[in-house]
Amino acid sequence: MSLYNFKKIAVVPTAKDFIDIILSKTQRKTPTVVHKHYKITRIRAFYIRKVKFTQQNFHDRLSRIIQEFPKLDDVHPFYADLMNVLYDKDHYKLGLGQLNTARHLIDNVAKDYVRLLKFGDSLYRCKQLKRAALGRMATIMKRQAANLTYLEQVRQHLARLPSIDPYTRTIIICGFPNVGKSSFINKITRADVEVQPYAFTTKSLYVGHTDYKYLRWQVIDTPGILDHPLEQRNVIEMQAVTALAHLRAAVLYVLDPSEQCGHSLEEQISLFESIKPLFSNKPLIVVLNKMDVIKPEELPPNKRALIEELEANCTKGNVVNADTNSELKTVPVMRMSTMTEEGVQEVKIEACERLLGHRVTEKMRTKKVDGILNRLHVATPTPRDGKARPPVLPPAVLQKMQKTAERETRKRKLEREIEVELGDDYVLDLQKNYTDIDEEERYDPIPEFWEGHNIADYIDPEIFDKLADLEKEEDLRMAGGMYAVPKIELDETMKEIRDLARQIRNKKAVLKDESRLVKQSTKPVMPRNSRARDKGRSTSKLRDEMEKLGVDMSDTQKAHFTRTRSRSRSQSAPRAKRARTDAAPPATTALARTRDTLGVRDAAMQRRAKHMAHVAISKKTKKMGLKGEADRFIGTKMPKHLFSGKRGVGKTDRR
Amino acid sequence: MAVRVQFENNNEVGVFSKLTNSYCLVAIGGSENFYSVFEAELADTIPVVHVSIAGCRIIGRMTVANKNGLLVPSSTTDTELQHIRNSLPDTVKVQRVEERLSALGNVIACNDYVALVHPDLDKDTEEILADTLDVEVFRQTVAGNVLVGSYTALTNRGGLVHPKTTIQDQDELSSLLQVPLVAGTVNRGSDVVAAGLVVNDWSAFCGMDTTSTEISVIESVFKLNDAKPTAITSTMRASLIDSMS
Repeated sequence: MSLYNFKKIAVVPTAKDFIDIILSKTQRKTPTVVHKHYKITRIRAFYIRKVKFTQQNFHDRLSRIIQEFPKLDDVHPFYADLMNVLYDKDHYKLGLGQLNTARHLIDNVAKDYVRLLKFGDSLYRCKQLKRAALGRMATIMKRQAANLTYLEQVRQHLARLPSIDPYTRTIIICGFPNVGKSSFINKITRADVEVQPYAFTTKSLYVGHTDYKYLRWQVIDTPGILDHPLEQRNVIEMQAVTALAHLRAAVLYVLDPSEQCGHSLEEQISLFESIKPLFSNKPLIVVLNKMDVIKPEELPPNKRALIEELEANCTKGNVVNADTNSELKTVPVMRMSTMTEEGVQEVKIEACERLLGHRVTEKMRTKKVDGILNRLHVATPTPRDGKARPPVLPPAVLQKMQKTAERETRKRKLEREIEVELGDDYVLDLQKNYTDIDEEERYDPIPEFWEGHNIADYIDPEIFDKLADLEKEEDLRMAGGMYAVPKIELDETMKEIRDLARQIRNKKAVLKDESRLVKQSTKPVMPRNSRARDKGRSTSKLRDEMEKLGVDMSDTQKAHFTRTRSRSRSQSAPRAKRARTDAAPPATTALARTRDTLGVRDAAMQRRAKHMAHVAISKKTKKMGLKGEADRFIGTKMPKHLFSGKRGVGKTDRR
Repeated sequence: MAVRVQFENNNEVGVFSKLTNSYCLVAIGGSENFYSVFEAELADTIPVVHVSIAGCRIIGRMTVANKNGLLVPSSTTDTELQHIRNSLPDTVKVQRVEERLSALGNVIACNDYVALVHPDLDKDTEEILADTLDVEVFRQTVAGNVLVGSYTALTNRGGLVHPKTTIQDQDELSSLLQVPLVAGTVNRGSDVVAAGLVVNDWSAFCGMDTTSTEISVIESVFKLNDAKPTAITSTMRASLIDSMS
């Protein structure tokens, strides 16, 4: 659930791979066929497309790399500093910066060559220009080879960094190499850090998680720190310093009074003094480890004096000076042995408690807490009456509680166990637990309905008595006039309105019925055999009207209005053939007789023919179960004799 | 004892089960995993019954129950009702109610003595509720929500209400219900507490997502495992502040 996830950065290919990827993509995803007889604009467009496509791919790929790598200014200062220590901030920034420049250069190259390509006058020239453009882009990328390999290494390393959440509850363990820091984290978490009896076994930060007080605690194991100036510290030590400097955590400073780690107690205490500034404003605990080897009381007097002085300083609060926070001022000095696990839990609990207290006081100062104050409140009831409302614990429950206290095991066979046992044959038995009903009656099937009655309605044996009671009660009520509707008096206007409304309703109903009678179909009707008539428009009518109005219509035999057809082309299409003027007109315009009587001698013959046809058709339809003559039936889709055997020339249909 | 459960990969266990001090109703699911969690915990002491309401599995939201009785909505079929009557002890009164707000579990929250109901609940339903479950009835809202049944988990020993309930409201509700109340969440911050949690006087079942902090709050307010509600303001206070803000 870390805020920072560096595992999702895409792989950075080497320069050679990079070029191969992009160029092969251009080859695959742009058209490849062009001919010199094509129009020159088409040839130009073909090559311009290739150049632009290549440039776009370079651009996208480089932008992605630049975007995905974390910006040192945006990430948490802890990560920014850690990356500075591990990868050198300048180198990192320079690398990404150069990729950015390369991207611009490639864009410019493409722009230039696209411009030149517009002047290409032959296929050959265009092709050469394209080659040159792609070549220059590839050269630019080749120069980034070192950069890309560096970034790939950074990516791999980043992906393997432990996911440390800088904002959560954190305990940092620090101290000289080989004092038992990793042993401690292994004891309280499941981190499984490698432990070896030599210095700098732990070379980077390790993270483990532990639970305390319903919360999850992040424990960070740091590499050992040696006592020398900051400038001389190596990368391994600097990681520890970074963690100490930027994470708001509880710090455990581990000391080894037995000096098995190879450093004297004086050195260890002087380191403690010199890295003190890193502990300011953090809960700090000094831990004396390896108590199984030697206890402080058994040390030689000069060493014991050192420890006593340290303890005195810690309890007086002289250790972390700048602090005003009183609870952080005193620093406990604790003892433990990671070997025998003596005191390990105490150290963990003390560290968690101090950090939790510190975090809570910090949070109480902010406004955030106001929102959750209601959830830290337990509303206790004020008694409102004398009634007792005790919890209901069945005696069986109390017995069971006692039994569990005595560690008695469960005997019941669970439904799930039966289910697993029976597998697919399992059927949920709902009736099994009807304990009130006898075994032999329990599984009796009960119909839902019997003789037209719902069984469930008669489940109550006294239902009829109850119903009778209810009815009697209802009768009494009715007799008492409970349901009598009071007479409503109407005034004059109200009466009028009612009357009018009734009339309107009646009229509406009549209209509705009428329209239903008149209109058989609700769909609009389109007559099939005649055009829509222009109602009441005719030449004779026009003439009559005009004469009535006093216009002289005597000499209008061939007047324009007598034409009933328009002369426009659309209405009178040109004749398909030249009009026949010489030959005689056809004898008849339509057949004189219907087709079924053609070629038939007389009525008797026609009757016979009809009968024969009817018999033939009915035979066929009966045999094949057809609807009628028009119902097509194909008996066999692929008759064997037509589809088997060799086919010579012209034997497709008949064989 | 609070147990984490899931119903077919769903954390809203309060939707699929109903727990009281004298019986427990569990939805009929595809497998018996969910049922058997309840069975293992409760079947020695109280009946754990497979139930469906109107053919649905959301029995926890459709019904309202305590040790005295059970109210089911009108959509319950006759056979289902008969099955419930057959399975439950005779001391439990089962009653079907005609109510417009048919998801009774969402509109009514109750323990064995008092009930909070939706302000718009029918008058008749209120009477039936008082008679069947033998409770005092109060029309209330919880943190401005009318669905009191969804936002309140209640037993005779304590109650958990919507996390946004103000301190005044908590005190008022607590005086009505006569049990200690705490505002809290279940299922990693879900505010529909009754959907994520079923609880009675000695056991609790909550969704799989419930965090250990939430469980500890639940255990202390419902006094499970001899925990005390006062722990929330004393020993658990620091971890609550640190985990919530």
